[in-house]
Amino acid sequence: MPTLSMDPVLGQEVPVASIDKELRKLWEADEARTNASLINLVTCSEETGSLRKNTEIIRHLTEQHACRAILVEFDRTVTEPSIHAWITAHCHLSEGKKSVCCEQIAFQFTGRVTGRFRNTVFAHLNSDLPLIFWWQGELTDVFTERLSSVIDRLVIDSAPWTDPVASFTKLREAVKASGDNLVVQDLAWTRTWQFRLSVAALFDEPVALDALGSIMSARIVHHPAHRSSALQLLAWIAVQAGWRTGLELDLAVARRNGGNQSFSFESPSGNAITVTVEADENSAPLGLLELTSPQAAVRVSREAGASHLVRESSVNGVTRSALGPADPDDDALLVGDQLSRGGKNSLYRKVVPRFLELLGS
Amino acid sequence: MTNPFREDLVSRSQPEPCTVVIFGATGDLTHRKLVPALYNLAVDGELPTGVKIIGFARREKSDAEFRTGLEELNRKVSRSGHDDKIWAPFAENIHYHTSEFTDADGYKRLAERLDAIDRERGGKGNRLFYIASAPEFFDDILISLKNAGLNQAAEGCWARVIVEKPFGTDLATAKHLNQVVNETFHESDTYRIDHYLGKETAQNIMVLRFANSIFEPLWNSRFISHVQITCAENLGMEGGRGGYYDKAGALRDMVQNHLLQLLSLVAMEPPTDLSADGVRDEKVKVIRSLRQWDTPEKVAANVIRAQYLAGHIDGTPVPGYREEDRVDPESMTEAYIALRLKIDTWRWSGVPFYIRMGKRLPKKTTEISVHFKDAPCVLFNALPGGVPGGNVLVIRIQPDEGISLRMVSKLPGTSLRLEPVKMDFHYATSFGKGSPEAYERLLLDCMAGDATLFARRDEVEEAWKFIDNIENAWHKSTTPPPMATFTAGSWGPKEADNLLQEDGFSWRRL
Repeated sequence: MPTLSMDPVLGQEVPVASIDKELRKLWEADEARTNASLINLVTCSEETGSLRKNTEIIRHLTEQHACRAILVEFDRTVTEPSIHAWITAHCHLSEGKKSVCCEQIAFQFTGRVTGRFRNTVFAHLNSDLPLIFWWQGELTDVFTERLSSVIDRLVIDSAPWTDPVASFTKLREAVKASGDNLVVQDLAWTRTWQFRLSVAALFDEPVALDALGSIMSARIVHHPAHRSSALQLLAWIAVQAGWRTGLELDLAVARRNGGNQSFSFESPSGNAITVTVEADENSAPLGLLELTSPQAAVRVSREAGASHLVRESSVNGVTRSALGPADPDDDALLVGDQLSRGGKNSLYRKVVPRFLELLGS
Repeated sequence: MTNPFREDLVSRSQPEPCTVVIFGATGDLTHRKLVPALYNLAVDGELPTGVKIIGFARREKSDAEFRTGLEELNRKVSRSGHDDKIWAPFAENIHYHTSEFTDADGYKRLAERLDAIDRERGGKGNRLFYIASAPEFFDDILISLKNAGLNQAAEGCWARVIVEKPFGTDLATAKHLNQVVNETFHESDTYRIDHYLGKETAQNIMVLRFANSIFEPLWNSRFISHVQITCAENLGMEGGRGGYYDKAGALRDMVQNHLLQLLSLVAMEPPTDLSADGVRDEKVKVIRSLRQWDTPEKVAANVIRAQYLAGHIDGTPVPGYREEDRVDPESMTEAYIALRLKIDTWRWSGVPFYIRMGKRLPKKTTEISVHFKDAPCVLFNALPGGVPGGNVLVIRIQPDEGISLRMVSKLPGTSLRLEPVKMDFHYATSFGKGSPEAYERLLLDCMAGDATLFARRDEVEEAWKFIDNIENAWHKSTTPPPMATFTAGSWGPKEADNLLQEDGFSWRRL
């Protein structure tokens, strides 16, 4: 029988069958005043070393979101089946005292994992609390209907997916199978949040709103790794503004030129609209959105690494600008923002079909 | 045409661009609360683009001087810290307008300035007038706004007014002020602010009651024995507070507005919807159902007023109320009040509500505690020590916002002994992130035209009607109830303890 060890990051290694017992001992030995929990937060990754990386993320997340964290790492290159488990607690100071602690259970699986993984996670959930699943990387065959049907909120990042159309199809089936109860939160979509708020804020101005119907062109600049965010932003604008796509119009819908792509739309009043989506290595994940009509230009921009967006509108020669907050670049902060907002993410569901159209172009 | 990009973006009414005119712009409220609140909204990206702020006050000042003063204080008090990068564009939209509150020419110039801003912004003329001046100027400002035509909005726009407290000093003055307000602005454009209602836990009272099926069925006289609302302050009359406070007193300063508002949220029936009038209709019914303490005898039996004597707070000696700065040595103003209220409705028949508010109490705290009736303890009556007090649900408003529930549990061991245990929920530690300041929420609501968290005319007048009866018994009767005393740093006078003991209860230990 292998000797159980203490890991400086993951905590105390424990036999899987004794996790609950060892957690109780941990609390008894601790001076923590409160073991707080609002959610079960499960992170899953097939990346070697993800447990340590995710432990750091959870340490930060628990400053804002009290949870029971369950970290899972698969190593399917090792065929021999095994499970290792570690427990620890993340405690945060309040008024000089260790006041709130959140517990973490880390699992490392090797070999074929589908059933073992699912049942092990289910066995260690905190009762009655929502289950948030942060699935890191591609959606693999481990993500089955029996798993997705018990998840309340699924966090994904479609940005690095190699075959996004296939993964979104799988996702759509999972949502359908859950009776539309599964809320999907895509970090690629979250990265557009402050851009969307800024666009909405700029069009609160009545003169800008008047110019919406005469927009003729748009330009989006993004980092090459974040094309899906750029396309989701474009899909949102098109859906909300009622732009019809070239597909509906039976026009040439898109032209590619290196990292750049252009799309054709038609406004509800029949204006032709050309949108260019440009990849730029030096850009922030989303660097620029510009909407132009003969009378007005609305522009939201962000320098790489900047903590704020610049909102600008220029209508009939009057220019205004203001700063707005930018979305964080860090995945952990993005997840934190999503958890803070909650909600059913109905807008995302509405936009995804149009996004997939653009993606497939 | 509505902004299609706002659809489904956030689950709250969206504010519209407007110009905010603050009357009393050199005052503490503007510097400590209003402008920092607007700045925090800008930091969070929630302030509509194109919002302009015009400070209106009598003192001569340039825009630059005004901005510098605001910036200095914002650095100290802003919840989200101070970022020069954000402050700079935010401050560009702040201007100062010098005028006497009664100077017609000053309002004419203000109108011209607002028109110029509207032209620059493109024809939309939404205006929000925030009257944060001393109360004696409320009338003058409102009438001058009307005379200058500023109470009228252009087609498709709005002109709203926020009136700070105190909204009158009695029923007659409140009615007069309401009349002036309503002759100037439509009731739906009038926002009487009570910042307690912008606090997270106050907003959560309705959610707690109506979104949790375990509470609402128990929320009545069958299961609840009594309710206590406590607002304790450890401060006295430091910083010149005595000048104002000795004229107002605890009853008019706190009970008439904040505490009766909290009471109405706890006691109201479920509204038919969450519209402003839907909620306010139910709240006003509670205030209207308060049994009136309209004779000195009834007041003496149900209301305790008191002043503190010299004592100690946090180990430091503090003076008695009558020795405080700017307080009349012969003052008959109450610095402490405890009331027993009866709400004559089907739901609350026989359930007393106790309210206490005082200065120089041991600590600063505001909370509502709902005390449930004891379970029939036939099973446990024979136990040594009996059964400890029953279930108490506590809604903490400040400073540590949260909810706790006390229940009875068995002590571990072979013998059967019962002890109370507490389940505690703290907003700060459970949700992590801090709540926005009450003024942030309320300013946004007003810009968005959502009056749910603001008091309506009839609410204010009904509250004053109740308060006036007590004030009359104290100050206009030939046999006024006595003024009790207590030592500063204690939890109030013995008479207030007796008020509950008569009913078989005691104040919750805080």
